[in-house]
Amino acid sequence: MERLQSSDLIYLAPELTLVISAIVISVLDLFLPKRVNRDLIGWLSLLGIIVSAGWVAMYSIPLINGDGAQLVSLLGGSYRIDNFANVLKLIMLGGAALIIFMSIGTVKEREIPHRGEFYYLLLPALLGAMIMASSTEMITLYVGLELLSITTYILVAIRKSQAESSEGAFKYLVTGSIASAFILYGMSFLYGMTGTTQLGAIRQLLNDPQFYPLIYVSYILMIAGFAFKVAAAPFHTWAPDVYQGAATPVTAFLATISKAAGFAILFRVVYNAFYGLGTQTIHKDFFFILMLLAAIAMILGNFMALKEKNVKRLMAYSGVANAGYLLVPIMNDPYFAESSMHYSMFSEFVYYLIAYVLMNIGMFAAILIVTGETRSEEMSAFAGLYYRAPGRAIAIILIVLSLAGIPVTGGFFGKFYILFGTVQSQMYWLAAVMIITSVVSYYYYFSIIRQMFMRSSFQASELAKGIPLSAVLWICAILGVVIGIVPQWIIGYIDSIFQYGFDLFG
Amino acid sequence: MNVIASYLILAAILFCIGLYGALTKRHAIIVLLSVELMLNAVNLNLVAFSRWGIVPNLTGQIFSLFNMTIAAAEVGVGIAILIAYYRSRGSSNVRDMNSLKR
Repeated sequence: MERLQSSDLIYLAPELTLVISAIVISVLDLFLPKRVNRDLIGWLSLLGIIVSAGWVAMYSIPLINGDGAQLVSLLGGSYRIDNFANVLKLIMLGGAALIIFMSIGTVKEREIPHRGEFYYLLLPALLGAMIMASSTEMITLYVGLELLSITTYILVAIRKSQAESSEGAFKYLVTGSIASAFILYGMSFLYGMTGTTQLGAIRQLLNDPQFYPLIYVSYILMIAGFAFKVAAAPFHTWAPDVYQGAATPVTAFLATISKAAGFAILFRVVYNAFYGLGTQTIHKDFFFILMLLAAIAMILGNFMALKEKNVKRLMAYSGVANAGYLLVPIMNDPYFAESSMHYSMFSEFVYYLIAYVLMNIGMFAAILIVTGETRSEEMSAFAGLYYRAPGRAIAIILIVLSLAGIPVTGGFFGKFYILFGTVQSQMYWLAAVMIITSVVSYYYYFSIIRQMFMRSSFQASELAKGIPLSAVLWICAILGVVIGIVPQWIIGYIDSIFQYGFDLFG
Repeated sequence: MNVIASYLILAAILFCIGLYGALTKRHAIIVLLSVELMLNAVNLNLVAFSRWGIVPNLTGQIFSLFNMTIAAAEVGVGIAILIAYYRSRGSSNVRDMNSLKR
């Protein structure tokens, strides 16, 4: 085992920046007098995230230019700073920065009594997500996972005075802990079979026929646990309640960063520990389980959303469906179909993840705007929005079109590339499920637009104001369209920096 | 190999009891206790593997130490959330937690 040298600390700069800013800001929040506006804490947290993102970007540069020889692997290979981790970290940091930016000035003292806490608790949660993206060892991975989970339990419960908030948080905590227990139980078998917790070493040691039955047990337990974390059906039942109970910015965090982190470890574990095991049959069984999960998530998510009237619950089911779409590229792999090779699955995944993060944060910014003062989260909050605020209504329409997957938006090309990948890997039935469920989803996405145009706004509430909120809405809307105009650039770029064998199997 | 089998069976039984309790019990504290039981079943598994496993080594015991710490933090947060809930609702019955179903 290597020890952590002080010279290695420099490579942990993004994480350390977050740790230090979380500690400093929390102490600052304690000592600042009450009359100081807590938006200051928000700005400081935003600064911490931006500095951390700067470090990540700086470390990605040599990895992109070189041939990967400068890959940094710390703590005996349990913490890797590679392109896979850096790309995902940049997405998470960008998403968190947008969420904090939109909360500044929008989150009211009345709703969240301790606003300072809300801002600086996002930092450790983000840190946990980054550790998950970088770890290739089970203990590290589990610690990152729980850092993210426990912090988000607190964030969901932060509206202490409201029973809905603590109810949602308690449900989240119990289901989340059960999921953690499942993941751990699966991990304990992996450790028992191989005697190591390094994912890469596990894959080499598992190739022994006497282990095959136990591998299935451990794989299914772990996948069930991860499906809880990314809210993929049939393990999604916590999502609508928790999304509804949490404050809207926290919901946005759960829907984007938390989900992205879940997919990061899903990728790592599936490829690092379980890829290509034994004969092809085991490998195919494993990927078939994932396919099944993706199909169920797409079908259940989209159909359950049809009858939903509460916008946040609707977004929860839309998130379940999107978890299904995001699961698809994981099994679009070159091993699976013998005839055709498909190497761009990671860039498809990243492209759709970027689009997904943008449209979800945009949508939650829209929900923050329309719920305004009354905090009514019914669909009717959107009623007649076009006649009240045409500019913002247009931005919301762009976001909804992206969510639905109408051409020349990021959401469309994301789904299109994933679909293309499934056809290339000859998983035709999955492609069919994807198309049909996407068509079904038009119904509920367009009912939002229908509300904006066709309903009169006799019970309209005051819209939430605030420059940051509108700015985030427009940033998400415009970026969502821009990445739809130049999809090849992004996909090609990620393809060029991501070396399949090296980044996932190294 | 028989020694380890008995440990694994015990851990599996504990895990199932915990899962059953977490899904069916009415009192929120018992639910949290059941979750703890599941996590401790995992610890038993890890420690058994680290002593009697195919490749005995210390990693499993270290892993279980991490688990205990994290489980303690998790339940601490759980109790805090439950107290906040009890203050606003005056109940700790899981069946009462149904205000979020439209």
